[in-house]
Amino acid sequence: MTRRTSLPMKTRPRTATTASIQPVRAEHPIWDDGLALNAIKAEGQVLDEMDHFPDPAPRRRAAKSFSNLRHPVDGLRALGRRLSVTLRHKSSKHNLHHNHEETHQFDHAHHHVPHFRNTWCSVNRRASLSSVSDLDGSCAPTVSMPVPANGIQPPVFPSGMYAGAAARAAAAAQNEMVRAERDGLKFSEARLAHDAESGIGIDLRDRSELSDAELAVLRLDPVSSLPPEIMSEVLSFLDPQSLMNAELVSRTWSEQASSRHIWKQVFRRAYGSQRPSGVSSKKKQSAGLGKSIPNQDWKRMFLVRRALEHRWSEGKAAAIYLHGHTDSVYCAQFDENKIITGSRDRTIRVWDAHYPWPCRKIIGPPPADVSGIGPVNNTAQQSSGKPPFLTICPPPTQSAGITTPVDQASDYHSASILCLQFDEDIMVTGSSDYSCIVWDIKNDYKPIRRLEGHTSGVLDVCFDDRYIISCSKDTNICVWDRHTGELIKKLLGHRGPVNAVQLRGDLVVSASGDGVAKLWNITSGLCVKEFPSKDRGLACVEFSDDARTILTGGNDKVIYQFDANTGDMVNELTGHVGLVRSLHLDSMNKRIVSGSYDMSVKVFDSQNGELSIDLPGWTTSWMLSVKSDYRRIVATSQDSRAVIMDFGYGLDGIELLEE
Amino acid sequence: MAATPTLILTSSDGVDITVDRDVAERSLLIKNMLEDLGETGEAIPIPNVNEAVLKKVIEWCTHHKSDPPSTGDDDDSRRKTTDIDEWDQKFMQVDQEMLFEIILAANYLDIKGLLDVGCKTVANMIKGKSPEEIRKTFNIQNDFTPEEEDQIRRENEWAEDR
Repeated sequence: MTRRTSLPMKTRPRTATTASIQPVRAEHPIWDDGLALNAIKAEGQVLDEMDHFPDPAPRRRAAKSFSNLRHPVDGLRALGRRLSVTLRHKSSKHNLHHNHEETHQFDHAHHHVPHFRNTWCSVNRRASLSSVSDLDGSCAPTVSMPVPANGIQPPVFPSGMYAGAAARAAAAAQNEMVRAERDGLKFSEARLAHDAESGIGIDLRDRSELSDAELAVLRLDPVSSLPPEIMSEVLSFLDPQSLMNAELVSRTWSEQASSRHIWKQVFRRAYGSQRPSGVSSKKKQSAGLGKSIPNQDWKRMFLVRRALEHRWSEGKAAAIYLHGHTDSVYCAQFDENKIITGSRDRTIRVWDAHYPWPCRKIIGPPPADVSGIGPVNNTAQQSSGKPPFLTICPPPTQSAGITTPVDQASDYHSASILCLQFDEDIMVTGSSDYSCIVWDIKNDYKPIRRLEGHTSGVLDVCFDDRYIISCSKDTNICVWDRHTGELIKKLLGHRGPVNAVQLRGDLVVSASGDGVAKLWNITSGLCVKEFPSKDRGLACVEFSDDARTILTGGNDKVIYQFDANTGDMVNELTGHVGLVRSLHLDSMNKRIVSGSYDMSVKVFDSQNGELSIDLPGWTTSWMLSVKSDYRRIVATSQDSRAVIMDFGYGLDGIELLEE
Repeated sequence: MAATPTLILTSSDGVDITVDRDVAERSLLIKNMLEDLGETGEAIPIPNVNEAVLKKVIEWCTHHKSDPPSTGDDDDSRRKTTDIDEWDQKFMQVDQEMLFEIILAANYLDIKGLLDVGCKTVANMIKGKSPEEIRKTFNIQNDFTPEEEDQIRRENEWAEDR
């Protein structure tokens, strides 16, 4: 790494070796020539003046130490000398312009010249601080012939003469520094010595030291100062917007900042850091972080993800209606590939989550094929919130080919499917037939066993690696062994139907029609805390992944947020005008999604509880179940349909986010 | 109590610096070298780091000598934030060149914590700035043609619009 070798060769404090300072160094010899040019004004005194001017010997030495610079500089000098010849005849006329008879006098010239030289120099130097090209430009943008310094005006060089000098000087000085270091020659000392001898050296040195310090403090391009792997590390710490700004700095920055490796880190930090690490019984919803495969275009993924987030903030989603159930759809869960719904028509349906969203499987008694889809939404209601920007009604799939042949009716639920949950291995459903069935997802949804123990309909179910928890209209909660199906425990205490249940580690939270949510410890089987509603019965409950927050909804038409540790009600989310039937908390994206008998689905910001999206009338009846992931909400309705509210629909590249 | 064992480090410009061994061992390069070669009592040459920078590095290592070793799960905890603790912030209040040299030295000497703080410091100098502000900060020339700049801008502003 060549850049790294630059480390030892630098000595402080005058070590600003980047391009910014190079033109300044180039300037010294040029200025020497400028003075020479100036001196010719006093015709015959030129030589005298030169003699009286700084000892040429150290100057030569200094010039030699710039060996690579010598060519442009010497060329410049030579040109200056040639010019001095051609100008000599005119120089007296030249001087007359200024009524400065005294300038002919050696003494005055001697003092005057250094004076304005310094004045101008400092001005020029300040300008040159800002950029190399400024220096180029300010020198002589329009002149084609050199003009000697004149009165208090600086001399002007044709721009062509100077063009590229800065770049050459930069490269040359860089080389020179290396050489100087190797030879043990302290270039700065040589220069300082020379300046001191010149008689005007104090001013010169002050000036250069001043600007050296300023340059060193302020401006060094890290992309050229640091090796790429370190710069990559630096850029990985940026947020996406800053990284995109970095891409616009220069070509080399653009090259560095658009690296996939950096974008991977930045993308993951922007959208993946909230991935819950706590215990969770929920099947992990897709986080929309894409697949970690080679050559993944992480920057494009970021752009897609940003566009998706924008859609969420605008409430802009397409409606895709899953039509096939013949009665109320009570429950649903989905992942990237499939959506599973359960209905009052006693069937469980597995839908493809991708275009054209066909129904892949019907589990249950042979259903009647549904006829025309009819009205799918309530446009009058929609006008008060966010209607779909696009409505898609895929034709219902013919049930003949996808229905599992029924050999034994005992293998299926004999009444409504009220609740379901699935993970990679199993699905558990609960039914009005008082039982739960555990299904083998990996073996074509074959039933594994039936869980019997409730004495009324099973209203909700959830499970983790150890337990299956079910709750029922019979006011009881049953804890089952996931692997054996053994009934481990009953949690008794509710005085009404238990409508919803959630599980995190050893903690179960339940919500009941009796108006109380209870927190249970599975091990002890005891209720450890109660979270009462203000008035009426509770229909649904959510438990944050870290088990610290409990959300409940019900007939009070609000969503209560409780601190699970203290039991305090910390917030009340308002907006619904009907019973809140279903809740889903997406901790990663900080969204609470709710479905209500007011026929709306609403999205709240889980951090401040503010209503962020109102989606009324997307179906024609009560919303019964809602779930969401990074790009969509799946809601089921009493009108026999499920609707995908797809915020990523038609977004170019949205498939990149699939996991 | 026995005297703290010390080492002598020789900077690139030939200056010997005596440093406590546990301080020097914040550098994995030095630590591994001592483990491999054993302690010879001879000065350890640090050919890539000059005296001024080496002293700065030692100052940092001295302050951080009792830090727990890095945990290795650097993809998560470390990456989350560009927060820098107060002492480190003060320590990093140096001119850009010294900052870059410290980073290069930390990289060479394999001092992860210091490299991290250095990178974060530079990141914080870039963070939240417009391209022009970044250019000013580091005296960088914009060498894009207006068309190229526009192209990147449009790419980055891409949202969807259908």
